[in-house]
Amino acid sequence: MKDPKVEVNFEKRKELEKVLGADQVSYCYQCGACVGDCPSARFFEGFNPREIMLKSLIGDFDDLISKDSIIWKCSNCYNCYERCPQDVRPVEVIIALKNIASQNETSPKEILDVTRRIIETGYSVPIVSTSNRIREELGLPPLKKIDVSELKEILKPDKKTEKK
Amino acid sequence: MIWKPAWVIIQDKFVKLEVGAIIVATGMGVYDPTEIEEYGYGKYENVITSMEFERLICAGGPTEGHFVRPSDQQRPKRIGFIQCVGSRSKKYGSEYCSNICCMNTVKDTLLLRDHYPDTENYVFYMDIRAFGKGFEDMYMRSKAEGVKYIRGIPGEILSINGNGDLKVEVENTLTGQLEDYDLDMVVLSVGVKPQDDSPTIRKLLTLSKTSDGFMMEAHPKLKPVDAPTRGVFFAGCVESPKDIKDSVTQAGAAAAHAQILLNAGKVKIEAITSRIDMDLCTKCGQCSDVCPYGAIKWTKGELPELIEAACAGCGSCGAECKFDAITMRHFSDHQLLAQIDSILENEPMKKLLTFACNWCSYAGGDFAGISRLQYPVHSRLIRTMCSARIQEDFVIHAFEKGAPMVLVSGCHFADCHYINANRQTVRRVLRLWDKLDKLQIRPERLQLEWISAAEGQKFASVMRKLDGKRKDVTQEEVDYSIQALKASKLKGDARKAAMEQLKCPRPPEPISIPPSTNGESVFQCMSCGHTYTGHYDAKEELVEWSCPKSECKSNSIRVHRKKAGK
Repeated sequence: MKDPKVEVNFEKRKELEKVLGADQVSYCYQCGACVGDCPSARFFEGFNPREIMLKSLIGDFDDLISKDSIIWKCSNCYNCYERCPQDVRPVEVIIALKNIASQNETSPKEILDVTRRIIETGYSVPIVSTSNRIREELGLPPLKKIDVSELKEILKPDKKTEKK
Repeated sequence: MIWKPAWVIIQDKFVKLEVGAIIVATGMGVYDPTEIEEYGYGKYENVITSMEFERLICAGGPTEGHFVRPSDQQRPKRIGFIQCVGSRSKKYGSEYCSNICCMNTVKDTLLLRDHYPDTENYVFYMDIRAFGKGFEDMYMRSKAEGVKYIRGIPGEILSINGNGDLKVEVENTLTGQLEDYDLDMVVLSVGVKPQDDSPTIRKLLTLSKTSDGFMMEAHPKLKPVDAPTRGVFFAGCVESPKDIKDSVTQAGAAAAHAQILLNAGKVKIEAITSRIDMDLCTKCGQCSDVCPYGAIKWTKGELPELIEAACAGCGSCGAECKFDAITMRHFSDHQLLAQIDSILENEPMKKLLTFACNWCSYAGGDFAGISRLQYPVHSRLIRTMCSARIQEDFVIHAFEKGAPMVLVSGCHFADCHYINANRQTVRRVLRLWDKLDKLQIRPERLQLEWISAAEGQKFASVMRKLDGKRKDVTQEEVDYSIQALKASKLKGDARKAAMEQLKCPRPPEPISIPPSTNGESVFQCMSCGHTYTGHYDAKEELVEWSCPKSECKSNSIRVHRKKAGK
């Protein structure tokens, strides 16, 4: 915030508030309780949930939903959810931003890979030939093949998310 | 250290006194931070509350003024204060600001600087509210003494070793940096809350509370020390969280107000009180149930006894009495019915009959006039002291005389000048809507609105809206309702025959009940027709309802008490 004059973009904020999970964002009073306990804020330079809330509050979050956005550094640990005295649920606001970014197709390639993998195999980590061998050595049963037909049905794009 | 307690045996004793005034000064309670797990109060010995800090640093305290930390009886060097613990939070404690904790912390830091200049003090805050006389000076002095103020609420207190040393993780929101502080001791600046047993006193003296749980004053600006029950006054934190100076000020005012009463010897009360005609009374006790002041004493099977000095004149008992045994002086049935008659004598179709309470709605109409707001000329106001005076018969009488629309208006729930009398208004209007519906008269023709004395704008807009609804009412409809109400007064077969002869020109629209609601009641806005479901229990205390639609916000909310989905 280099410009001392900040103009709130109410329309953009209202748009964000309509997304599931972000409806309480206007209650944030910037106390910073979400940052003190945030593991991502500790280890990633520039990641600060309070600032993300501030940007959402003033409706200036274009850079958060653009490519290479900082929001993907959030580890979804829900610590901020527990700490927030105003019930803003910062993590859910971040998830809402992530959903917007996904719809705009600006989410990182790695995220798309994971998504594709879940739809195709039902696992979020890649299953390679060595996986089952290591499991055997550890005395674990081999990985089951997952029936993803139901999952595919659930994750099918609806009218709103279908590509035009 | 040997600490010898002095044993004094104090025995409870009941003392009967006859008094002329009562001052309630039962004080406040303190928030217990055990539930905030991240602060570890109760888990870490060296995390203490501000109240415990007061005892530790006090010369008469358990350590005789030696400031030591609980875990190892050593003097702490680095002390942190966390503000707003149990205040301004939707999650823990209360949503209000507790008023005193900021300055208490500033004072504590100055005490520490005075006694132990070698200690380092840190205050973690979100806002320092130094609002009183000399407070800002004190805050600045504390800063100048070297106390470090960090704007940011810590996420967690951690124990770094087994020796009771603590670590606080916090974002300094002014620099945006994440900082760690190693501390010897943390003081939680806890908020205040109402006394746990305050409901007992409330019940005893028929007092009411505000939404935060503290006692409600008779008027927030003009009568801040008076209770709604006359002869009762407040002093100190029983009314709201306040510091010593404000408490002393209020106590002085309360004492002076009580002295006025005591010196007068005889007290003049308003002549607007109720009078019970013992010949007509059937000893049913309904009047005693609805009196917000407990001014009507009644035991089953006995005649009620009215304490006139306690009666404030709302008229709720008069409206409740089905046997016309209660007369409200200056607002008798006879007087009010005569007003309705004369309003509807000529061209009733052009009249918008409005019942307005003296304190809020009538004053709101006044304010609309003073502000020169434009509203239709058709409104005719009937003033009562409280909306609770409006008897069901009055509304029925108005419809019988051909009124197209009737509005019942009163104070907002929080502003009711007769403690909670207007909750009875809601119950009566709900009964009236059901009755009108049964007789096939459109219940929308009766409306309910809460208008405060400052809401001239709302008064004018309500009048405009209702005038539109008035134009919508047809002559046939009014004729039918006159006949139907007359027929409803007949008994048995005669009534049945009379009702069968009538044909309703415009029956009320049946409401659509949304499917799949479990045990919830259906609420219907009688102004815009919007329906929604919600929790309603007739036994619980009512809350103020308004239409959730932002463009409507009407208070005419009808509850369909049959369970939804059936």
